[in-house]
Amino acid sequence: MFLSIVVPLYNEEESVAAMHDAIDSAMSGFERTYEILFVDDGSRDRTFELARELAKNDPNLRVVRFRRNYGQTPAMAAGIDLAQGDVIVTMDGDLQNDPRDIQNLVEHLDKGYDIVVGWRHNRQDKLITRKIPSMIANWIIGKITGVPIKDNGCSLKAYRANVIKNIPLYSDMHRFIPAMASLAGSRVAEVKVRHHARQFGESKYGLGRIYKVLVDLLSVKTIVSFSNRPILWFTLLSLPFLFISVACIVASILEMTAGNGMPVPLAGTGVLFGSLSIVLILNGALAELVYKTGDVDFSILARLTMSTSDQVASSDSDNAS
Amino acid sequence: MNKTVQLSVVIPVLKRTDDLAELYAGYEGALEAIGLSYETIFVVDGGGENAFSELKQIAAANDKVSIVRLAKFFGESVVLSAGFDQARGDLILTLPAYNQVEPESIVNLVETLDACDLAIGRRWPRAGGAFEAMRRKSFHFLLKLLSGEQYNDLGCGVRLFKRKITDEIQLYGDQHRFFPVLANRQGFKVQEVDVKQSPKDEFRGRYRLREYLHRLLDIVTVFFLVRFTKKPLRFFGMVGSLASALGAVVVLTLVIQRMLFGMALADRPALLLGSLLLVLGVQIFALGLIGELIIFTHAGSMKEYTVAEIFSVEHSSGSGSGGDGD
Repeated sequence: MFLSIVVPLYNEEESVAAMHDAIDSAMSGFERTYEILFVDDGSRDRTFELARELAKNDPNLRVVRFRRNYGQTPAMAAGIDLAQGDVIVTMDGDLQNDPRDIQNLVEHLDKGYDIVVGWRHNRQDKLITRKIPSMIANWIIGKITGVPIKDNGCSLKAYRANVIKNIPLYSDMHRFIPAMASLAGSRVAEVKVRHHARQFGESKYGLGRIYKVLVDLLSVKTIVSFSNRPILWFTLLSLPFLFISVACIVASILEMTAGNGMPVPLAGTGVLFGSLSIVLILNGALAELVYKTGDVDFSILARLTMSTSDQVASSDSDNAS
Repeated sequence: MNKTVQLSVVIPVLKRTDDLAELYAGYEGALEAIGLSYETIFVVDGGGENAFSELKQIAAANDKVSIVRLAKFFGESVVLSAGFDQARGDLILTLPAYNQVEPESIVNLVETLDACDLAIGRRWPRAGGAFEAMRRKSFHFLLKLLSGEQYNDLGCGVRLFKRKITDEIQLYGDQHRFFPVLANRQGFKVQEVDVKQSPKDEFRGRYRLREYLHRLLDIVTVFFLVRFTKKPLRFFGMVGSLASALGAVVVLTLVIQRMLFGMALADRPALLLGSLLLVLGVQIFALGLIGELIIFTHAGSMKEYTVAEIFSVEHSSGSGSGGDGD
């Protein structure tokens, strides 16, 4: 099995050499062939030059440079696109993740999981500004997507290449990979990993604003729910409005039969909400059209999962952490 | 014609033209002074009969000049793209078909291009009245507000750039004006260069309300393209939640008044307003969701990043070259 380790780097000139050493020594005790992909996300410092020097002496290392700064998800997506391994491991470039955990993650993949997610159980970050917001975010993400992962923000993850390469990755979507993967019924394990305090520099990728996470979450929920039951999700959304509509119309009919004349605003409200629910259902039909014309083939994803889960029906009870 | 050229000059000929022979004579002197081998491509938009016959005379006397004529009216973006398609040089220079800048200051752009991918002219110092200046300032201010980038003269037609930019950016509609913004978004370095304004460059005619509306819509389109292409719900969600929140406040106020103070709810027109806003908000939100689905289902074919370079040492297995991962 060939292993690809993808590391996005953004202004990491202090850590890049240490990062490379750490991966090297972690992999030396682990008999697998591997490649390392450093993705330089448009750094303004000497990250790329240093990484290129490292690559000159290490045939396993490839360095990819972006033309400008695009963000962490595109950097990971590029690494994943270019990776040649059967297993892809992603991790942060700031030394907060420990490459020694790669072995453990990959062993869990061997047991039959499709995605193994790191859980920074003793996270070395500030409590108020980092840990508490992320706890809340993780709880909400778990509730809404139905994939209860304790630590969505941890970059240290291992994937089967054929699973992750079929999941569209864009914008800030890396946070929702496990949820997206559940689209295909992928089996996700969560494993405790080490976490170190930052040695150099400031944290570059914050948790992002609450609005963004919430909105992304809603998109992911729509995407995930929609994939197996077309129209149903939009119909479900329209139900409360249908209820309001019916209530308003019934109330105005009651008023009328009581001889008080028709209450136009109330009846109008009923009609408005009624039309809203119809439009929403039609939106559902439109969305199905979008899916039909799109290039994400869910049947491929489903077939993939079936073949992988067949191999491992026995190890289901093996729960990590 | 199969001599190699380093610089392709594209001159879009639209409605506004000056005496082309005189204009080109001026440009020619400046282009010779730059010292690169060059070709000039005039692209005539549909209709321009007079300009075309004038150009034929120029082209007959000069083998560096070629003319492309479009079959019907397409607008400046398409005219420019047609010129870019014909261009053979590694550098492309666009010049206006009227006296906008002094030709001798074009060389300023060439000097700057070492440090950037796209050099755009900025007419400075600038003639014109206070109203003109204000109009221009507010346009660029609005653009800065929405795109976060400061430009001072996007109306200047003098632009010099490396060929690879046109391979990645397709111009359509009215986007030629925002070419620098789009290029910047693709990770190209853009720099403004002061060029001397021609004394004959005066504003002709006047902007009508329609023009202003077009500019405004252009800015909004570019803003959307730059900021939210991959995340439509963030944009629609903002507008949608604003409308629904407003509606919810109205409806809640009415309901509270009904509950606590016994004011009738059923026949108050404000109820209609409130529910209308709510309904509008939800619909906008739903549009955003559809947008998200479109992006998700097409994300595979749209790369979000542009790779500048992949480095690895070649090793015997040959897999280290790191070709495009498709």
